[in-house]
Amino acid sequence: MTDIRQETDYTLFRPILETEKSFYWIVATLLGIIFWAGYMYINQIIYGLGVTGLNNTVSWGFYIINFVFFIGISHAGTLISAILRLSQAEWRRPITRMAEVITAIVLLIGAVHPILDLGRPDRILNVFLFGRLQSPLLWDVTAITTYFTASTIYLYVPLIPDIALLRDKTDKYKWFYQFLSWGYIGTEKQKHILERAMTILMVMVIPIAVSVHTVISFIFSMTIQPGWHSTIFGPYFVVGAIFSGTATLLVVMIAFRKMYHFENYLKEIHFQYLGLLLLIFAILWGYFTFSEFVTGFYGNEPMEMSVILYKFTGPYAVFFWLMVVLNFIIPVVVLGFKRLKTIKGILFTSMGVIVGMWLERLIIVVPSLSNPRLPYDVHFYIPSLTEVSLFMGGIAVFCLGFIIFSKLFPLISIWEIEEGRNEGLEEAQKRLESYLPSVEQVK
Amino acid sequence: MPRWGMVIDLNKCTGCSSCVTACRMENNIPNVGVEEAQNGRAMNWMEIITEYEGEFPNIRITHIPRPCFQCDDAPCVVVCPVHATFINEDGLVGQIYNRCIGCRYCMNACPYTAKCFNYSTPEIPEAFVPLQNPEVTKRMVGVVEKCSFCHHRLAMAKDLARYEDREMAEDEYQAACVESCPTTAMTFGDLDNPDHEVHHLKHSNRAFRLEEGLGTEPKVYYLKKEDK
Amino acid sequence: MTQKTPKWILFFQYVSLGFIWLLVLGIIVWIINLMKLSNYLHDAQNATIVISLIIIPIFITLAGVLSYVFFGLKRANREEITK
Ligand code: SF4
Ligand code: SF4
Repeated sequence: MTDIRQETDYTLFRPILETEKSFYWIVATLLGIIFWAGYMYINQIIYGLGVTGLNNTVSWGFYIINFVFFIGISHAGTLISAILRLSQAEWRRPITRMAEVITAIVLLIGAVHPILDLGRPDRILNVFLFGRLQSPLLWDVTAITTYFTASTIYLYVPLIPDIALLRDKTDKYKWFYQFLSWGYIGTEKQKHILERAMTILMVMVIPIAVSVHTVISFIFSMTIQPGWHSTIFGPYFVVGAIFSGTATLLVVMIAFRKMYHFENYLKEIHFQYLGLLLLIFAILWGYFTFSEFVTGFYGNEPMEMSVILYKFTGPYAVFFWLMVVLNFIIPVVVLGFKRLKTIKGILFTSMGVIVGMWLERLIIVVPSLSNPRLPYDVHFYIPSLTEVSLFMGGIAVFCLGFIIFSKLFPLISIWEIEEGRNEGLEEAQKRLESYLPSVEQVK
Repeated sequence: MPRWGMVIDLNKCTGCSSCVTACRMENNIPNVGVEEAQNGRAMNWMEIITEYEGEFPNIRITHIPRPCFQCDDAPCVVVCPVHATFINEDGLVGQIYNRCIGCRYCMNACPYTAKCFNYSTPEIPEAFVPLQNPEVTKRMVGVVEKCSFCHHRLAMAKDLARYEDREMAEDEYQAACVESCPTTAMTFGDLDNPDHEVHHLKHSNRAFRLEEGLGTEPKVYYLKKEDK
Repeated sequence: MTQKTPKWILFFQYVSLGFIWLLVLGIIVWIINLMKLSNYLHDAQNATIVISLIIIPIFITLAGVLSYVFFGLKRANREEITK
């Protein structure tokens, strides 16, 4: 066996083969947070939902907000990767894998949140035994299961050649990679099979991804509560989801680039392109937010108005305007000017967008519940320690999952980079020629 | 099939809360304690909403007793994922405590916020234990509950009639709140029975229902408060 | 590098492929159960049928794609080794 250090793309193998001390510290910290969250959740099981900050009017809080938020982030991955692959954008090569991993992990975390929210998690089986497909919650169950299955398969199939590489070139966990590689040895026929499967999956995954977030928004828009009952919610949620997903992808890319020294693979240009995508979605998001509120404002229905004023000038004004600044003003300013659009600038904006999108979910869920139609006393919703801990736990699971994945599989698709290097140029040239009229044809 | 409903005369209601108390005793509603109540988790199936109009010295107060309206087209029923809230054979909106998974979707979907949730294990004060109503299921932590129009009373009246081999008379079934009202502000009966008083009252020109425009078809009518 | 997969790994590969079909089967059984239930309760039969018409083919395609990849790769591998 040749020394793996001689490999051209050794940088990509390195995280799997070499483990630094700091890795164990990070894992220990994350595990600490996760155990703490687990302890809090056990508390909640024992004492009931009373340990949260919820009350009878505001009966949905952090858990549902985080559910929508996490599922939103999961749209980064598969959707972006599928679109870039389908459109054969050559700069996608180092990005797709990370995007897909985000989807798989975050989707799992998001899917757990409604269960955290249940008053009787022990009765979860009732959903399978006595479910009614009339309820939007059941639509969610089916949509998320579908999306999760599809995106995991879509993560796995392009991973096979890399697993085979690991099987052949390293000695670590040989049986594990042998098990997962499904006998891939890189013949023409096998490549062809993978390509075909990937095309089918890409075409399937895009509509599934779009529909999943629409279905999530249906939880809200199917009720007749002011502020929720709105037809714009479907596309609004989808745009918000891709927006927050792109921001997360950027943060993850920058973090791992620093951690594993991927500077030569993730170049300035990748961030520039994704930054452009982020800018477009910031503007789209601004447009949707504007049309969401302008219709309510113009219609001036008293119930709708009380919710809108609660957001604009009431107790939620701080969150609302902070969201507008983080999601619209900062991205447009930073990403719109070449001078500010450095990697640092993009990192700053993306983190802002993630926070801003979380605030958006907060602003959707709570104010509508805080403004019931009948004049009740409403208690301001303040999340308890349990809810905050579980949120932190969710984030910790995300980081941990990502780090463990990076220790088992390459975070940047090695075969795709290789393919790009070896065949991409020629192929791209051919493709370009096929798009353009040749000189003979025109003359 | 009778369409059970209620008419509440807001002119007569003094806001004395005896319906609230009667309901609590009838349906074994747990006490959540002062602290929890201050957190907005007080549980009441029947609740009195007080509306204030006007500036300070010339205030007009309206007390609106609010049970669950047993909507014919109930927004809370369609959203339940497990059929734990449903329209039962008597046209009332029932709640199956043993099936509810506690997702609280129905609470959010109800436009009248008529449901409440057991945030902690329900506790009944020691002194009240002998006064518990054996006809009403005790609820457990983590489920949603709401006014049932004292459905157990209907079941009992039906059983009695079947036992005595006769038709059930309409007045055998009364909700506890209606019985307890000292000013007879509430009238209970079959809304579709043209001979019954509720039928006349619901066609009075003072009659209205809350948020009628939503199309939920509540079965509780109010008679508007008029200034004398 | 061509190498034969050990028997026990092969066995687990088949088992893991079996899981995806088990999932599909589970989903189908679940949906049929819900259809029966909705029929019994007279409650939104149309919605149930529409959703099942969408969901079941999607899952079957997904599992089908995965099996196609699995058997395709295996066959190509065998051909290469026997060559
Ligand atoms: S008042 Fe609310 S809880 Fe009662 S039936 Fe109507 S929607 Fe359901
Ligand atoms: S809280 Fe219970 S009754 Fe209400 S929708 Fe959820 S499962 Fe149904």
